[in-house]
Amino acid sequence: MAHKQQRFDPYDMNGGTCVAIAGADYCVIAADTRMSTGYSILTRDYSKLCKLADKCIMASGGFQADVKALQKALSAKHLIYQHQHGKQVSCPAMGQLLSNTLYYKRFFPYYAFNVLGGLDNEGKGCVYTYDAVGSYERVGYSAQGSGSTLIMPVLDNQLKSPSPLLLPAVDAVTPLLEAEAIDLVKDVFASATERDIYTGDRLEIMVVNAAGTRTEYVELRKD
Amino acid sequence: MKLDSGLENSSSIFLGGCSGLEADFSAPPLFDLPITNDFDGWQKKSVQMVKPARGTTTLAFIFKEGVMVAADSRASMGGYISSQSVKKIIEINPYMLGTMAGGAADCQFWHRNLGVKCRLHELANKRRISVTGASKLLANILYSYRGMGLSVGTMIAGWDEKGPGLYYVDSEGGRLKGTRFSVGSGSPYAYGVLDNGYKYDMSIPEAAELARRAIYHATFRDAASGGVASVYYVGPDGWKKMSGDDVGELHYSYYPVVPSVVEQEMTEVPVA
Amino acid sequence: MAQSVIEVPSKGGFSFDLCVRNDMLAKKGVQLPSYRKTGTTIVGLVYKDGVVLGADTRATEGSIVCDKNCEKIHYMAPNIYCCGAGTAADTEAVTDMVSSQLNLHRYATGRQSRVVTALTLLKTHLFSYQGQVSAALVLGGVDVTGPHLHTIYPHGSTDSLPYATMGSGSLAAMAMFESQYREGMTREEGIHLVSEAIRSGIFNDLGSGSNVDVCVITKDGTEYLRNHMLPNPRTYVSTRGFSFAKGQTEVLSTKIKQLKEKVVEVAVEGADAMEE
Repeated sequence: MAHKQQRFDPYDMNGGTCVAIAGADYCVIAADTRMSTGYSILTRDYSKLCKLADKCIMASGGFQADVKALQKALSAKHLIYQHQHGKQVSCPAMGQLLSNTLYYKRFFPYYAFNVLGGLDNEGKGCVYTYDAVGSYERVGYSAQGSGSTLIMPVLDNQLKSPSPLLLPAVDAVTPLLEAEAIDLVKDVFASATERDIYTGDRLEIMVVNAAGTRTEYVELRKD
Repeated sequence: MKLDSGLENSSSIFLGGCSGLEADFSAPPLFDLPITNDFDGWQKKSVQMVKPARGTTTLAFIFKEGVMVAADSRASMGGYISSQSVKKIIEINPYMLGTMAGGAADCQFWHRNLGVKCRLHELANKRRISVTGASKLLANILYSYRGMGLSVGTMIAGWDEKGPGLYYVDSEGGRLKGTRFSVGSGSPYAYGVLDNGYKYDMSIPEAAELARRAIYHATFRDAASGGVASVYYVGPDGWKKMSGDDVGELHYSYYPVVPSVVEQEMTEVPVA
Repeated sequence: MAQSVIEVPSKGGFSFDLCVRNDMLAKKGVQLPSYRKTGTTIVGLVYKDGVVLGADTRATEGSIVCDKNCEKIHYMAPNIYCCGAGTAADTEAVTDMVSSQLNLHRYATGRQSRVVTALTLLKTHLFSYQGQVSAALVLGGVDVTGPHLHTIYPHGSTDSLPYATMGSGSLAAMAMFESQYREGMTREEGIHLVSEAIRSGIFNDLGSGSNVDVCVITKDGTEYLRNHMLPNPRTYVSTRGFSFAKGQTEVLSTKIKQLKEKVVEVAVEGADAMEE
């Protein structure tokens, strides 16, 4: 009888959707709180957001064990940075650090889909979006995770700004006010929950602006 | 008899620590590798799950005045367009550009790494690195990872002491010197336009327009290419961005809609 | 024996020609395409005066919900209904086929259909297809011999039970039945327990969701309670809404064609063109 080799299968998919929108002087980062595997819900109340620095928040979907490991690695690096330099890491710097951290596991990737949101050095909202092995890009808004394909077209429609690659350059700031952006985020999540089985239960929204960060919650469908 | 034989395959204890902050960029960095009997099997599968940016059109050519480099800006995962604003022309330093085709992360990371190496060369030798040297640095790195699953197809274009330089480098270990290259899924279409219109004695605006047209026509026929057609020129004074146009709008400027005679205007129905 | 020269499609619905080859390929390690699995919670129970059937209303395609309010309780006969789990096309086709056979049988005999007849027709059909028709059913009804509840598995095996669950949410639903089912429940208690079982599936199984459908069958008639409960309304509606000003889509060219005048046929008197 042929010997069947045991498969090395180190990943699971725990679902979840993350969205971030950058504005002129704010950034909204949101994710649902459902964690699931297969057809089962593991918990209805698991935060996918991680505050890495004062003005820098990471939202991650994918495999939660890898996400946790990634959050711990970045938090540890941020702590070292604080001890060495006596200040918080800026959001663009954290963006590059996250990219490198992901790429150093290029041959055994973190199965995590991340969006990083916060304020840059000038106080403008910034969003960085990643793939699992560290390719990244600064954008005005982004969606990642199981419901991203449902949400992204709506954001494109509502927020689409001229491409930053255009020449002559065109100003590309999300034209929404903070309250309007939060309203849009709530709405797209309610819609994604209708059609994506891995998104639901509760929505956690973090808003970063000059005043600091605040968190709000909205209930989502629980089926 | 071994009691814990089942654990051998699934344990993941790493030898190399993840050293992001104190990493020495001049040496190839340490990568975490899992301990497993079947490295290729699961590695391919796991990388498949996260594989980004496949379809691309990039091109570069040498002409009388220097090097012209152009690319589209689309990234796709299967049928899903994950981004329409990818910077596929990477600015390594003010005199050198790299293009991006294949794995987005692989290109982004190793070009940044190449930028660091070029700067260190400058500091050590008090002069800029040649395009030949830079492309060889990259080719050597990629060759050392050959067979590990990296996916890079790049062109290194720049201006050095010998004038314009252009090399094609890929993750299979290839490195070619040339005057005209196109890389990516849209390259056959781009080559069609490029080879047809190429002359060594072109002015800068002519060359820029040829590059832009080649990218536009590739995005028109290749579904995996699109977004913005960016064109860069590298001359004796370094690189300069020539243009960046949405290919959708380019289409209408190349093929304007013929205004047909309106037989009858639609009018609002008056409210009774 | 001479084989037919021309390839004729086999008389049955399915061709099994490639089964042996596919088996061999699978053993050699070729990845065969997987079948679509549709999550569902379907249940049924017998109470004092009859049978209560229940189902959720979600239909999925992978991780996407493709129908938020589909019907999973199928009509078999006026006194028999059947809940279906598995591939939607299979459950629908198999219940439809058997339903028409029962109808013909009623025409031939002039008597009410019996649940065992439906059961036998379903199981012989499913068995003859060796599990290829992936329909997992909960069959319930009341006939001259009293109330009956059966489960039918895709391979054709059946059970006769006082309470039954099927589908990906069957464990969640069965948990409710095992803890709360009693013999001789009233109609209200029966509907309540079935609803609770379906709700348990809806909330704890990702393959099931949206609303609760219930069907009550007694010897005096059938009551189909479509969307008996709506436990999952939308949670947030944007205050801004989505409206697009006129002119959002750029008009590249306009051409309006005049409608052709309608040709009216006039019947000629005395002509025999319009015979019955």
